[in-house]
Amino acid sequence: MLGNPVLGALLRWVHFVAAIIWIGHNYVNVIHHPRYQPLTLDDLAQRSERFMVLLYREHAMFRYPSIVVWLTGVGMLWQRHWLSDAFALRGYQAVIGMGSWIGTIMVLNLWLIMWPHQKKVLGFVPASPEERIRCARITFLSARTNTVLSIPLLFFMGAAEHGLVLFR
Amino acid sequence: MKFKPPHDSAWGAIVCGLVLTAILFQIVRLLVKR
Repeated sequence: MLGNPVLGALLRWVHFVAAIIWIGHNYVNVIHHPRYQPLTLDDLAQRSERFMVLLYREHAMFRYPSIVVWLTGVGMLWQRHWLSDAFALRGYQAVIGMGSWIGTIMVLNLWLIMWPHQKKVLGFVPASPEERIRCARITFLSARTNTVLSIPLLFFMGAAEHGLVLFR
Repeated sequence: MKFKPPHDSAWGAIVCGLVLTAILFQIVRLLVKR
């Protein structure tokens, strides 16, 4: 057994819970918006302060778990001494490594592309109505890109532990 | 006509994800056998 099995199990547990919170939120978004519908000025009406607080909390509830998912994922690889082989896509570690790279891209996409635009769309920072409508398209594509990327990521994550036979 | 990425629809996103999985699966298989 590589690494500390108790630490490994705890990291995996936290990794799963945080990942379900994050990607579950993304999948709910797909259900709410199966097709892109451009925002209208009516959609940007002023909301109550209480609603804005709830909205901010909801968005924080998947942004921060994304960091927990990444850190616990890296932690699991590190405690097994697989980190460099995984990220270098060497040997059988290439399977979980591909998942790790996709996950890293997803976290960067969320924090560097989606969130700066989402802040404007939802009114957390001031922006003109035209700018908010433009940003809504970018946040949609960014979120939907993560939906697409989650499909191979979940495959490689599962296959790395339970399906290595597929790669023989 | 304005270009719409295939993942503008939910089904398009699922199909994109499955195609991407198939492509990456082949790449990783080659990497493992290398």
